Amino acid sequence: MKSTQYSDKVLDHFKNPRNVGTLEGDDVAVGRVGNPVCGDLMEFYVKIKDGKIEDIKFKTFGCGSAIATASMITELAKGKTVDEALRITRKDVADELDGLPPIKMHCSNLAADALKNAIEHYRTKQKPEPKKGRDVAEKKGIAGIHEFMDQGVYTEVTDFSVFKDKRTMVIDRGDRSMEVALELTKQTPRVVFVTQEKKMAAGELSERLSASNVKILYESELLEIRGLKTVEKVLIHDLNEDEEYELFIDNIVILKD
Amino acid sequence: MNIYLDYQSSKPVDPRVVEAMLPYFHDKFGNPSSLHAVGDVATKTLEESRAAIAGFINADQEEILFTSGATESSNLGLIGYAFRNKNKGNRIVISETEHISIHNIAKYLEKNGFSVSKIPVDQYGRVAIQRIADRVNDKTILVSVGYANNEIGTTQSISEIGKFCRDKGIVFHSDAVAAEGLIPIDVQRDNIDLLTISSNDIYGPKGAGVLYVKEGIRINPLVIGGGQERGLRSGTENVPSIVGMKRAVEIMQEEMPGETKRFQKYRDKLIENVLKTIPRCYLNGHPTERLPSNAHFRFDGIEGESLLLSFKDKGISVSTGSACSSKTLEPSHTLIALGLLHEEAHGSLEITFGRYNKEKDVDGVMEVLPGIVERLRKLSPLYKEEA
Repeated sequence: MKSTQYSDKVLDHFKNPRNVGTLEGDDVAVGRVGNPVCGDLMEFYVKIKDGKIEDIKFKTFGCGSAIATASMITELAKGKTVDEALRITRKDVADELDGLPPIKMHCSNLAADALKNAIEHYRTKQKPEPKKGRDVAEKKGIAGIHEFMDQGVYTEVTDFSVFKDKRTMVIDRGDRSMEVALELTKQTPRVVFVTQEKKMAAGELSERLSASNVKILYESELLEIRGLKTVEKVLIHDLNEDEEYELFIDNIVILKD
Repeated sequence: MNIYLDYQSSKPVDPRVVEAMLPYFHDKFGNPSSLHAVGDVATKTLEESRAAIAGFINADQEEILFTSGATESSNLGLIGYAFRNKNKGNRIVISETEHISIHNIAKYLEKNGFSVSKIPVDQYGRVAIQRIADRVNDKTILVSVGYANNEIGTTQSISEIGKFCRDKGIVFHSDAVAAEGLIPIDVQRDNIDLLTISSNDIYGPKGAGVLYVKEGIRINPLVIGGGQERGLRSGTENVPSIVGMKRAVEIMQEEMPGETKRFQKYRDKLIENVLKTIPRCYLNGHPTERLPSNAHFRFDGIEGESLLLSFKDKGISVSTGSACSSKTLEPSHTLIALGLLHEEAHGSLEITFGRYNKEKDVDGVMEVLPGIVERLRKLSPLYKEEA
């Protein structure tokens, strides 16, 4: 069976998803579940009154079945008591949709988990917070930084033209590093800015950076630089998901503190 | 609407090819190995086809081996060469953006005692000679770099890469499946020792392919049997498909110049319109060094399988490098090699033009694409309207 061979019901919910959107208010709890392998992300907003789910909305970044399962569970959960809603399983969702392709049963069938997550947050009366924060990111050295000095690693930038068309990573070292990242966009379409912050602090520079073509990696740190003779790849630590992944890159700018 | 824009995955067989093949199923059914008159007809046809296909890539007739398709050709070229020449060295170099079949062949060679090194590409998917030079030594026997990438359409400076390998005395293989019929291939000019091409990629039938083996290069067979194809690929030749491939080559030689100009017009119009109309959308691959038929985009905040399904609903067939649409649920290794993050590789859309497209097909895409992107972005928690 192909991974996209969907039932009519899945296709219907994909084309006409129910209850899309967000909710606001003190009685609203948010649940967020992601699949770190493929990048799927589901957000649920539940409004609970007298122990019942009065309203529910969702947003999904993912494939057809990710969207359809999210839509389906909003229909199943609406009007139910919290306890009933908690008993909805992945299988219930799949069954209601007349089945999912086997390969999609686990990866994109995240709706039950995301709903559970939202209800748990309601119960602890907390909005979702990343489990692991910046405290994990102690200041340890970046492996390979000395080996690749002048072989793709720069601690200062005098001539921007050497970055022409190069994938360039800039490590957050405050305002000056943001200025460098913005200036680099004139040389290359690929500038990646790595910061341990959860979001950019207010300010003219950071606003310009957010609005630019610079790809910002929030809550991330550079662990290691890899390559044969020159920089070829880096290892990034995602502090939020506590995951490590490789990224192909040509140059890294790490300004001196 | 019914628009096919996935010519990279599969092409229809040209009706003129079908016509050329038909006599070889019943009337001219002979086995080229038979010594009687019926067999002689098959032998003559086989050798004429070999000559025609050799001419298409500027090779000699004796340098053409028929196989069942591109995958077999690459297997025979890489495994056949490596096993035959392992006394010369055990290192093999391939690019990060090779077709998945080459990656898996390399994996197989690794399990059999060879060491494989992968050449990183730049952000457009191009291989720099320096990166190859960093990876070869006197134990390197084989380098494989595809003529053009099958997903993002980036083309390589094959003749320079070939020259580098030849100067170093390293055998150079190129998988030209994505490029054939779109770029003129010349194994002499391009300094190629082993070349993979297929029949279906030039509107011939599936089930036929060719491995070009430069004179003097020794390989081991993988299929052992009655000794057909100079003992390098046994099994009765698939004469109908081979005749089809020959006819496809003849048509291609005549029509390629006009056809590629036409594709390029569609491609450029599509790229210009998409980048102009859709915010936070980018072109993957090289802006100019790319196949004339290929347009490859990515969109912030949306996922490729959802895009594909939405197009399907409108009667348009396209492709994506998204993990969600692949058998392994891994994102496209080519897009990752460009330096993209997983979620960026996720939002990709591949459109490839072919012989039966018309300019109005570009308009068909533009009619529905903005609405599809807008709808999916409204559903997405990753897309905020700020930029």
